[in-house]
Amino acid sequence: MKESLMDILACPLDKEPLDLSATDTESNDDDTEVLAGELTCTECGTVYPIEDGIPNLLPPDMRE
Amino acid sequence: MSRREVRATYDRIAEHFAQTRAHAWEDVESFVESAPNGVVLDLACGNGRHAELFSDRGDRVVCADLSRPMLETARTRLESASIEFVQVDGAAIGLQRNTIDAAVYIAALHHLPTQSLRRQSLAELGRVLTAGGEGLVSVWATTHPTFDRTSGFDTTVDWTLPDGTVVDRFYHIYDPVEFDRDLEAASLTVVDRFESHGNCYAVVEGDGDG
Repeated sequence: MKESLMDILACPLDKEPLDLSATDTESNDDDTEVLAGELTCTECGTVYPIEDGIPNLLPPDMRE
Repeated sequence: MSRREVRATYDRIAEHFAQTRAHAWEDVESFVESAPNGVVLDLACGNGRHAELFSDRGDRVVCADLSRPMLETARTRLESASIEFVQVDGAAIGLQRNTIDAAVYIAALHHLPTQSLRRQSLAELGRVLTAGGEGLVSVWATTHPTFDRTSGFDTTVDWTLPDGTVVDRFYHIYDPVEFDRDLEAASLTVVDRFESHGNCYAVVEGDGDG
């Protein structure tokens, strides 16, 4: 995912914005590609993983 | 059947399913031609056959699906810098309100196992659409010649994998009046409603207050 996608992503539980913590990125001309990392809800603290460039925004009880 | 089971089903059949869904539906093409430009969402994108239509218009496209393997098939198929892939639950969408200018939600709402989840999902679509944003929703309907019933019902429809394994998929087959009621219960503004090829379609608008 591109870093600019943060403008529209939200926590699926309370719909609040997320904080990005990237552990693997790739720089492009206009935007940074986030390959791995975590998204943390600014309100409830729930953590959502980004794996191989795709954020998993399923509510935690839907993951497995 | 639970939502997790629905996801597990699509995780399992993703690759084969993607191969059999090569072409966009005509009714969706017509919607995309006149839909607002901007940030667009293909909710329950499957292999991305409809996202492709938006991407051809130069929109910023978000492909969202419950199944990670399904998203992988879309990413492989689309390979475009302007398309993003996000794993989401249609009944609890991980997007901010008023962010989506156009959305398609095709042949997927009927996989949610309860009326309450289906209504919640429709309300979620209304929440993410911008004021003036438009979404196209379709569900499989009792009007399809496959069915001989006139009121909505739950069923499972088999998917046969190439090795002969049969996988069940949950469906709620909608009757048209029931679809209207669910749209109303979700407080969506319906700007168009039509039946086509055994599916109910609705064009809905975002109200801007999410």
